[in-house]
Amino acid sequence: MTDQTTATDGVDRARAILAGALELDPAAIGADASIATLEAWDSLAHMRLIAAVEADLAVELGPEAIVSIASLADIARIVEQQG
Amino acid sequence: MTWQPGEPLTLETARFIVRSTTIYDVTEAMVAWMADPEVMITLNSPGREMTVAQLKRQVKRYDNKRGFHLTVFDRASHEAIGFYTVNCKPWHRTAETAVVIGNRDYWGRNVVIETRSAILDFLFDTMELHKVTGLPFARNFPSVFNYKALGFRCEGVFREHLRGVEGGRLDQCLFGLLRDEWHIHRETLRR
Repeated sequence: MTDQTTATDGVDRARAILAGALELDPAAIGADASIATLEAWDSLAHMRLIAAVEADLAVELGPEAIVSIASLADIARIVEQQG
Repeated sequence: MTWQPGEPLTLETARFIVRSTTIYDVTEAMVAWMADPEVMITLNSPGREMTVAQLKRQVKRYDNKRGFHLTVFDRASHEAIGFYTVNCKPWHRTAETAVVIGNRDYWGRNVVIETRSAILDFLFDTMELHKVTGLPFARNFPSVFNYKALGFRCEGVFREHLRGVEGGRLDQCLFGLLRDEWHIHRETLRR
């Protein structure tokens, strides 16, 4: 598996997690998706999102990871690092 | 806006009015928020039974100069749905804010983003403060979300800094926002 493949897998997995938490079609989540661009990403959705990331990775995220999440790219980075 | 230190404050947003709490605003509903563990867990408080008289005494301590106790009202229903506390350090030109949205019907409706934006405009533009901070604990996800959505940066984590009301210890985050950062960020919110 190449690094590029891993990164793509991470983004796809992150997109699926985010889509589930926001109750959106994954196809509606663009590569630049963030709390500034997705109206459905509100405070309650954010709570569901962190819970979903932790469930997917089967870990409890540390504070630095928690406060870093504000975009699809941030989730993908955590999935790639901790997945 | 015209406001003098010590005067009650009123801020208006599209959906809400945020104004200095008076003793006449303190109701049984507001006291019930303070006793609701699910509401108060956001402040790492177990919730505590208070009387209306006790809460009125607490509200009266805020002078609308260095400290503000602000109630959030729904403009349409005139119902009180939550409150902020704002504590300023004038010499340092800083302030720290905290918020409770007690009415659960308003959770997940971007109340804090809309109302804290008005408070930030007031603190930076009228009071001419330099920096605003907040201290949520790291696993208070809605609060962390609200700070990030408003452009605050996490400047550090106080590890295992607080005793958790449900046991264990909690990491606490220092979120900060500078005036210049707010002036740039708020334009992205208004698009």
